[in-house]
Amino acid sequence: MSEKDQYKNRIELLQGTLDMLILQTLQWGPQHGYGIVQALRLRSGDVLQVETGSLYPALHRLERQGWVQSEWKQSESKQRARYYRITAKGKKQLAQDLGRWERIVEAIGSVMYGKPEESES
Amino acid sequence: MSWLAGFGFQRRKRELQEEIDAHLQMAIADRMARGETEEAARQAAAREFGNVPLVQDVTREMWGQAWLEQLGRDVRYALRQLRKSPGFTITATAMLALAICANSTVFSWIDGTMLRPIPGARDTGELVSLQRGERNFSPTPPFSYLDYRDLREQNHTLTGMLAYHNDWIALTGGAQPERVYIANVSANYFDVLGIKPMLGRFFLPEEETHGYAVPSVVLGYSLWKTHYAADRAIVGKSIEIARHTVTVTGVAPEGFTGAAPGLRDDLWVTLDPLGNDVWRMTHRDQDWLIVIGRLRPDVGRDQAQQDLDTLMHHIVAAFPNDHLGDNRITLDPMWRSPFGANGLMAATLPILLAFAAVVLLLTCANVATLTLVRFVSRRRELAIRQSLGANRMQLVRQMMLEGAVLSIVAGAVALLLTSWTSKTFAWFFPATSNPLILNGSMDYRVVIGIAMASLLAGMLCGALPAWRSSHAPAAEVLKAESASVSGGSRNRKLLSGLVVAQIALSLPLLLCSALFLRTLRNLAGANPGFEQDHILTASVGLQIAGYSNEEANLIRRKILDRVSALPGVKVATLTDWIPMTLIQKRSDAYPEGYVPHPHESLLIENAEVGPRYFESLHIPILEGREFTPDDNEKAPGVIIVDRTAAKRYWPGQDPLGKRLSVGGGLFTVVGVARNSTHTFVNESPEPMVYLNYFQHPGYETMVQVKTEGNPADLAPAVENAIHEIDTQLPVFDVRPMRDSTEMARSLAVIQSTLAGVFALIGLVLAVTGIYGVVAYRTQMRTHEIGVRMALGASRADVLRLVLSQGLWLTGIGLALGLAFALGLTRVIARLLYGVGANDPVTMVSVATLLGAMSLLACYLPAHRAMLRNPVTAIREL
Repeated sequence: MSEKDQYKNRIELLQGTLDMLILQTLQWGPQHGYGIVQALRLRSGDVLQVETGSLYPALHRLERQGWVQSEWKQSESKQRARYYRITAKGKKQLAQDLGRWERIVEAIGSVMYGKPEESES
Repeated sequence: MSWLAGFGFQRRKRELQEEIDAHLQMAIADRMARGETEEAARQAAAREFGNVPLVQDVTREMWGQAWLEQLGRDVRYALRQLRKSPGFTITATAMLALAICANSTVFSWIDGTMLRPIPGARDTGELVSLQRGERNFSPTPPFSYLDYRDLREQNHTLTGMLAYHNDWIALTGGAQPERVYIANVSANYFDVLGIKPMLGRFFLPEEETHGYAVPSVVLGYSLWKTHYAADRAIVGKSIEIARHTVTVTGVAPEGFTGAAPGLRDDLWVTLDPLGNDVWRMTHRDQDWLIVIGRLRPDVGRDQAQQDLDTLMHHIVAAFPNDHLGDNRITLDPMWRSPFGANGLMAATLPILLAFAAVVLLLTCANVATLTLVRFVSRRRELAIRQSLGANRMQLVRQMMLEGAVLSIVAGAVALLLTSWTSKTFAWFFPATSNPLILNGSMDYRVVIGIAMASLLAGMLCGALPAWRSSHAPAAEVLKAESASVSGGSRNRKLLSGLVVAQIALSLPLLLCSALFLRTLRNLAGANPGFEQDHILTASVGLQIAGYSNEEANLIRRKILDRVSALPGVKVATLTDWIPMTLIQKRSDAYPEGYVPHPHESLLIENAEVGPRYFESLHIPILEGREFTPDDNEKAPGVIIVDRTAAKRYWPGQDPLGKRLSVGGGLFTVVGVARNSTHTFVNESPEPMVYLNYFQHPGYETMVQVKTEGNPADLAPAVENAIHEIDTQLPVFDVRPMRDSTEMARSLAVIQSTLAGVFALIGLVLAVTGIYGVVAYRTQMRTHEIGVRMALGASRADVLRLVLSQGLWLTGIGLALGLAFALGLTRVIARLLYGVGANDPVTMVSVATLLGAMSLLACYLPAHRAMLRNPVTAIREL
């Protein structure tokens, strides 16, 4: 039982973080799945490599929750693709996620360094 | 709905595929732009993307529709599995369908009678039936018109209160008069019931008491269809009823047949349509109305009963002389209203439904046994699926689905069967002068009932084995498979439990049906205290002709003279009542000089009979004499009492010459008759008084003839003789008395027929159940038996080994079953006659029968095992 719970917690943490990253990426403008992967990779200096097996389920879930909307459009390279756009509800969620993220970083920081530290980003 | 959802699902699947393709295309394009070859780019992009079907799978899960797809897959798998073993599938489905049908049939009868007491009426749950005074299964109409009016106007708990009086009358104007059943109703009758006219209008308030030269009638739907060719312009036209012209003002909607449960009205008139019945409209001692109220939504039955009872007390205090006897008011919901047929239904049908439920449980135990045996032989498949990654939940779901598929199919079959069996209820009731319209009905409640029964069956048949199997670890099962000696100890226990349950459940069914059958035989063989075999009765519609009492009596005498003179007729007499037809008549009666206490019950059964009545029925006159032609209208009023009445009124005295007040008149006792059955053979004797037909004419004129030969042969001659006096005299219900008295046994016939069918199903299930389990276990132990025989066990040893297991199970089952049966028979004790609920002979014979059948069922596999060649048995694994 406890094993299962721990597992669940981990998934949630990761999911939450991924959701935040996706929503943040969409803040800069509508984007398709491939574009989101590329953007995250570039912005993180090749550190964050999002698995498609996590990305697409996350996108479809975000859409079901009403945080993003999707539509089919032509890309610059004439490729028909599904573009995701952040909704007003999504923006609110992003602000919330960000707040929580900052608190976590602060809390972890204070544990690791013994005193409250400012987050680097 | 799911069909549309399926379309949406397909579209989204296509779109996801397209989205992923686009992703790959863009990745390839990017890589090629960086200078990779197309082939290398394609491979790298695919590698980077990962497992496409897996990504699709997990993404689809996000849609919240994946379970649908999963379910579809599981259902297809379940169907495939069931197709692979058609023997099991057909047997299990057929058994379940039969058991569900047993339940739904009885339920449809309850539904058609008790749950739909007044077809067409709005919210019958709010309706209450009023009874004043003593309660019994067939009370006489309890209220006078003025009392009804006072209660209607002064109560605080009802939104409406209707009154009616059932009667029959002749529809004249055609070639031959025809009998139709009518009700005299209060003006608000249809309103309170919530019935809207199909054509025209119903009665106006001012019509309730007012008499008219040309009164209004409302036609019933079926009469309008059969007699008036569904004439839509009938409103305003004149028709003739009992030689009076009346105007049709409205037609009732289809399905509505009046307010008396189980009885049919063909048309309705107001309480005093011609204005010539002033007496019963203005006298408080004339009780002729049956009253139904509709509760106010915020009021309970008890509260209303209190309210009406208090009002009635005030009325009694104001008019004490008009209210002799018991005046307490009690209210019944319509499903068990004593007026109409529901009181009788309520005593029988719920018990039969309980029996049917036992049959369903028994069948589920049997199907669960079969399922378990099947799953045990499939456990290798299950274990492999488990080790390949199927989780236990999936396996459990799989097995429950197989049970669900079986029970859904069984439910569908039962639905079809029930649409026919629900209509068989009417077969149980012989033709009588009552317009009985009892039958089952097949509506949404029955369908819900079937759905619930099949759901329950599916759960029991599928979940039990599933729960069992889900606990077996895969590795252990695989290991056990390789060293298969028996089904594993846990399976053995569950299987044994199921067999014991089947025997324990079927024993009470067998016992109850045996008790019912003996009751039926006792009832048929019982002496009712009168001769019913050479008697013919015929009803004559005299009251419709507008004769005065003297003229009617003259015609009655002419009828008696003519019929007596017919060859083959021994005695002809008159009566207004046939015993054992579920009809009872009661009046207030007390000895001369007695002062009744307020609210003391004085009701006594009575009948009006002609001279030589007792001679024709072979009822001995113990003291005094029988009525003679000299006891006519001018002679002093005389009465004959039965022995119970004599004992009640004049204990220890000679009743002859004593005077009794009956219904307001004084009568001198001239004879004491032996007790005879009034309604049911198993009734406790109630006092009865016989009035002289010619001094106190009955409402019905029934000619009762004692014949030399078969009474049915004389029917045309009797009918002709009556018509020779007046061709327009309607004659109805000409039939042997035996046919009429069948009515008293109809409930016992229903009980024993159904219980018998249920018990037969139970016996077959129990025996096949134990056979199946013992045969299966013996097969599993073939190897072991071979080894035993090779080591020197004799055939008798093998026989004993196999038989002993079966006998153990039977023994435990019988013991549990007996305990269960003792509890159940107490419920039916009331319905038995001539046999005790715990009758030892019945109990022993039923247990012996079941034991013997089980023994046989165990012997067959034991015998087979005994004859096996040990060498082949050892080789068989």
